[in-house]
Amino acid sequence: MRLSGTSWVTVGATLLLSLLAGVPSAVAQQTGTVRGTITDSTLHEPVAGAQVRVVGGTMGALSTSTGTYVIHNVSPGSLQIRVQRVGYAMAERTVTVAAGDTAVADFALKQVATVLAPVVAIGYGTENRTNITGAVSSVSASDITNQPVAGIDAALQGKAPGVQVMQNSGDPGNGISVRVRGAASISASNQPLYVVDGVPVQTSDFAQLSPSGQGLTGVTGLDPNDIESITVLKDASSAAIYGSRASNGVVLITTKRGVSGPARFSIDAYLGWQNAERKLDLMNAQQYVQYMNEGAVNDGEDLPFPTDQQYANTNWQDAIFRTAPVGNAHLSVSGGSDRLRYYLDGSYYGQQGIVLGSKYARANGRVNVDYDASARLTLKSSFAIAHENTDRVEGDNSDNGIVTNAIGLPAIYPVMIGSRFSNPDDGLDYTNPVAIGQYDELPTTTDRFIGNIDADYNLSSHLSLTGRLGADVLHMREDQWQSPLVVGTYAFGAGGVAKSAADNGNRYLMESFLTYQGGSDTASAWNIVGGASVEYNKDESNFIRGEGFSSADLHYIDNATNIVSYGGTGPVQHNLVSYFARANYSWKDRYLLSASMRADGSSRFGPDNRYGYFPALSAGWLISDESFMSGFKQHLGSLKLRGSFGVTGNQELPNFAYAGVYGSGNYGSTPGIAPSTFGNPDLKWESTKEWDAGLDWSPFGGRLTVIADYYHKLTSDLLVNRPIPGTTGYQSYWDNIGNVMNRGVELGLQSVNVSADSPNGFTWRTDFNIAFNHNEVTELYKNQPIDGNNFRAIDRVAVGYPIGEFYVLHFLGVNPQTGDAMYQDVDGDGEITSADRTYAGNPQPKFYGGFRNTWSWHGVSLAANLQFSQGAKIFNLMRIFADDGGYHYDNKFTYALSRWQKPGDITDEPRASFDGNSGGTEISDHFIEDGSYLRVQEVTLSWRLPKSLLSFGNLQNSQLYVSGFNLHNFTKYTGYDPDVNSNGSSANIELGTDYYAYPRARTIAIGIRGDF
Amino acid sequence: MSPRLMTTSSRMNPAMRIRILAALLLLAAAACSNPLDVQPTTSIPDATAISDGPSAQAALIGAYNGLQSLSLYGEELVELGDLSADNAENSGTYTSYAEVDGNQLHANNSAVADIWLASYDDINRANEIITRVPTITTIDPDQATEILGEAYFLRALNYSNLVKLYGGVPIVTQPATNLADASAVTRASVSDVYGQILKDLDSAAAGISNTDETTQATVGAVAALRARVLLYTGDWAGAEAAAAEVESMGYDLAPRYQDLYSASGNATSEDIFRIIQTEIQESFLSYDYFTRGLGGVYELRPTKDLMHAYDPSFDPDGDISSYNPTDLRGQWNISISGSRVYGSKYRSIVGTEYFPVLRFAEVILTRAEALARLGQLSDAVDEYNRVRERAGLPDDVLGVTVIGPGATVLSTQDQVIARILNERRLELAFEGDRWPDLVRTGLATTVMGISAQATLYPIPQREVDVAPGVTQNPGY
Repeated sequence: MRLSGTSWVTVGATLLLSLLAGVPSAVAQQTGTVRGTITDSTLHEPVAGAQVRVVGGTMGALSTSTGTYVIHNVSPGSLQIRVQRVGYAMAERTVTVAAGDTAVADFALKQVATVLAPVVAIGYGTENRTNITGAVSSVSASDITNQPVAGIDAALQGKAPGVQVMQNSGDPGNGISVRVRGAASISASNQPLYVVDGVPVQTSDFAQLSPSGQGLTGVTGLDPNDIESITVLKDASSAAIYGSRASNGVVLITTKRGVSGPARFSIDAYLGWQNAERKLDLMNAQQYVQYMNEGAVNDGEDLPFPTDQQYANTNWQDAIFRTAPVGNAHLSVSGGSDRLRYYLDGSYYGQQGIVLGSKYARANGRVNVDYDASARLTLKSSFAIAHENTDRVEGDNSDNGIVTNAIGLPAIYPVMIGSRFSNPDDGLDYTNPVAIGQYDELPTTTDRFIGNIDADYNLSSHLSLTGRLGADVLHMREDQWQSPLVVGTYAFGAGGVAKSAADNGNRYLMESFLTYQGGSDTASAWNIVGGASVEYNKDESNFIRGEGFSSADLHYIDNATNIVSYGGTGPVQHNLVSYFARANYSWKDRYLLSASMRADGSSRFGPDNRYGYFPALSAGWLISDESFMSGFKQHLGSLKLRGSFGVTGNQELPNFAYAGVYGSGNYGSTPGIAPSTFGNPDLKWESTKEWDAGLDWSPFGGRLTVIADYYHKLTSDLLVNRPIPGTTGYQSYWDNIGNVMNRGVELGLQSVNVSADSPNGFTWRTDFNIAFNHNEVTELYKNQPIDGNNFRAIDRVAVGYPIGEFYVLHFLGVNPQTGDAMYQDVDGDGEITSADRTYAGNPQPKFYGGFRNTWSWHGVSLAANLQFSQGAKIFNLMRIFADDGGYHYDNKFTYALSRWQKPGDITDEPRASFDGNSGGTEISDHFIEDGSYLRVQEVTLSWRLPKSLLSFGNLQNSQLYVSGFNLHNFTKYTGYDPDVNSNGSSANIELGTDYYAYPRARTIAIGIRGDF
Repeated sequence: MSPRLMTTSSRMNPAMRIRILAALLLLAAAACSNPLDVQPTTSIPDATAISDGPSAQAALIGAYNGLQSLSLYGEELVELGDLSADNAENSGTYTSYAEVDGNQLHANNSAVADIWLASYDDINRANEIITRVPTITTIDPDQATEILGEAYFLRALNYSNLVKLYGGVPIVTQPATNLADASAVTRASVSDVYGQILKDLDSAAAGISNTDETTQATVGAVAALRARVLLYTGDWAGAEAAAAEVESMGYDLAPRYQDLYSASGNATSEDIFRIIQTEIQESFLSYDYFTRGLGGVYELRPTKDLMHAYDPSFDPDGDISSYNPTDLRGQWNISISGSRVYGSKYRSIVGTEYFPVLRFAEVILTRAEALARLGQLSDAVDEYNRVRERAGLPDDVLGVTVIGPGATVLSTQDQVIARILNERRLELAFEGDRWPDLVRTGLATTVMGISAQATLYPIPQREVDVAPGVTQNPGY
């Protein structure tokens, strides 16, 4: 059977329409109704948004803002009703409903100190946390909102064990790298899959005009304010339901939904100020002149900087940094009747960069509506739009950027000469960074729509059918302007350069699945899901570059006199067809078993290898509920042992890597063709097999929760774009080669150290998480190492080492007699050559995590977040210019002041050498530094306004707060920030390199939030 | 909502249930086929890429496109030929260039790898044509012959570049069909590579009938390349004959030296084979040589030694502002901007000069050198004086003192040859010929003060890693 794309839409629409037309439902004679009210046992106030379910069935409801709920259409008889709400202990009771009658079940929920969500998303459904048998981390909304970061990924840093977030660079809106349980892939993506309300969203770097290292990922368009909860599926057994894209973990994002009741408004706004968290210690003019001249004397050269001359003493960093505002305003309204619930919000986030010319702003809107069309049919829509404006600074992380040049230019030159900017004709070796910041522009606009419509139809009280249509549409437009006013740039010679790029990513999803919830009572419960899904992707991009502009004011591409280049990729499709099934079984509420299977077919593989199969199995045992443990349970609390095994995949590779193809190869104005890909028809899925053993322990009546895991994952058939002999005419091709192993331990602790009996009492909560990961490449093609793409080739993939091990000369120190740098002659041939390179550490931390404390008393609360990473090595690549002995004219780090100056000096800094004879310019582990850090990530002091102040305007739950972010970073690293990766979020191998990365800001913000 | 909906039975109408399940199954079943059959939109499958006359012609154009690469005539191949030698020095920030300048190459030098990869890429483009075109039944036989001839020429040109820089390299004359065989390649000897080149040039000569192009291979281009290759192999008589053949074809020196480097790419009577460069497929030569103040990156610049060669009165230790050559080539090729000296041979910052791969002045100098080496000194001097005249310089006369570095009475064969090599340096500066000339004449070790091992570039480390049969050059 063959169907065109349009038929597909028809099929999906038919499915939904069938459901709609089929609304046969409503109250029936044979069924009954359960209703009731849910209150807080201490405060005696209604509890809204509690989930009420009939145990062993699919029927359920959410409590309204007045605490009421109604479940229609229940089967008559004795029913177990269960109520769950975050912050409260689960409550259950049995009611008996007669046919046609209404039974009442009221609940008074007891507050509990634990903050773990009782119900977690698991992909195509939810599950009670007590029944979870895989490794799953939850992060609640309150942990991630109100941080002055653009994206959700950044907000996750330090929040979940085993989720490593690397900020890469401090640019506002910058793409971020996230690794769940270590990097598994060498050439395919290592970023997790993000699923928003069931729709896997596009997260790749869409920017074409990337000043290197500054990608723009799709994740930034999601508004953290919209989020109700985030669940990270970490082990293969829990992630395998997403099969082919799950080997890097799955981040499930659930957005906020309406609660029945009168309209309830929420407002949250803050305003902050950002500054550079630190500045580099660079030489002043006098130190620089002395150093450079000493290098010239050492080499018998004329003094480059006559000492009788007057020099400026410019701090270039001060010239490009600024105090920059950041602000966020968010307004939401939610409410509804008992059949229609809505949640609407809008927000604006705006941020100037701390570096001249950089900026990020985002406006978001969301409409989430739930409509109980009948007692059997619920329609849900979730629509979000986002508009982003990102102003990146040209050439950050390059040889000609604002940050680069501010570090590179010595202090001896002034910023201004008279009323004009100084420039290379005045002796500057690089263009004036302030001029770049003033005149050049790189504005990018992104419009994003993410949405889905779900229809849930209860076929019976045990079986429901869900149909879903989802879309993720992203349009990005980039316009770069390199002004001819920046003297000393290519644009200066070419009369200005303008580039314009359009990037377009579309994803459409259609899926449907059946959910069966069964089992007579808690003794034996089934939860079975099975369905199919089709995902269409279509990407398109193009760009154009023009030169020669009559005026700096006319700088759009249409004013160019020459169009000098153009490019892009025409509409390219890649599609995915999937079948999936999962069964969760619990027996006596303490023996838990889960099995799942997904089959994914991807258009990215050749006809023979399209389908991949991803099974998983896991089991759990609530050992504390065993009768033999009854004597201990009071002290031991609840204890669950878990074990799992699963297989996941990765298909993030170019679309037609399996096929040998020709592309265009034009010559002058004559069109031509040329071979472009050496195809590999045998290309297949990269797969990850992962074992996990863990425990969930909750002693002291739930006041302490411990979640610990050990995992071992082996990724095999790695998708590697591996080098092949150049004599074939090609450089590399995609192949399945080699294995990577990750193993590690994760620990998450949540503790209520002090709890209060009254709302005003003193409470103290501690959250702590830590993860240890060991990453090792265990096999490669003929075990040949693969070098990174970095043009200085310092990173390597080699058997026995982690991905991206640095591979450089080994620095032995400075010869006390000559002052020359000494390197290890590994091959013993008496010369220092590239054959003497050796393994020199890697950018993967030994452990990382977060530590959060919250204290509150009488409505005043103080929260402090620390975030840490230990053992990663950072290649401070700035030092090849700023610590080179004086071969380049770049300004130098002040630690070069401790250089060797006379025989007998014992130091690690080689002598100054104007001609580069001291060996100091060699790329070696001399430039590799310890990237360990402990960051004071957030400190927030908030004050809950007393009710007496809130009598006007019906204000409730209002808080004033003041927050500080990235207040200080304890580290020995000499660059701006060791949480750095100048090669951007798509880098796998070339991590941990700092090449003039944009520094991270320190932010102080004040804010208010409240409901009315 | 209609009353009907409010009163329907709670048990779903069986027909309805079937409809829904049918829709679900439809969704699932349909998923088996179509969506995974996605065809590329911006490329064509290689099996059918070269299948008729137009596509064979397009593939040939694609092989010329390969020469435009920044790794070859767009930048690196050209610049390294002067940077390794005494014509240019590194003044920028590329570590790869600093190594080249210092003749301290590492096997992982990116520029050295780029040239290797781009040369074999273009060889493969030629191999694809040479292998596939003879199997096309629908192509006009004359067209096929011409296309094949030009493909042989391009293959010869690329191998001639490789053998000059790396020594004996693997000879690959077929497209790779499987990787295992392709990874088993080994290096051929230098003489075998030259043997292959001359064989390809014979095939090219047999196929090409085109005589009036300058941006594609012609009869003249084949002969000019043959003259160059024979000069490199030391076959003086052969080189002289091939050069004389080119001279008989009606080429002549351009009236003015700078006409060869016009930004608009105008052809001159001197052009034999040039690479088209446009704003879209631009060369980086001007960008790399120009100072930042002129919009370039100033990655490399002329040496003071070269300035002295153009202007014997210029003191290499003195102020650059005293540079004032009478040699018109020295005036065109080197300029001063503020306190910086820069290479100004290529002057369109957008990189639109066509690159002269083979031009008549080189053929003259080749013939002159061959004559000198054959002992015909007087003919040799007459020959190269044509180039001097265009440069605004007086004729050299045997037995008379000549001006220039090491000014001397021009009498012995060695003196004439040295004079010709100096003339080659001045005429062909910044065109990538100086380093291969120094290496082939054995002068590189003395002029550059380097070891004999350093006169060969390393085989790129990535190549040695993936094709272990390819041995590294000594010293790397």
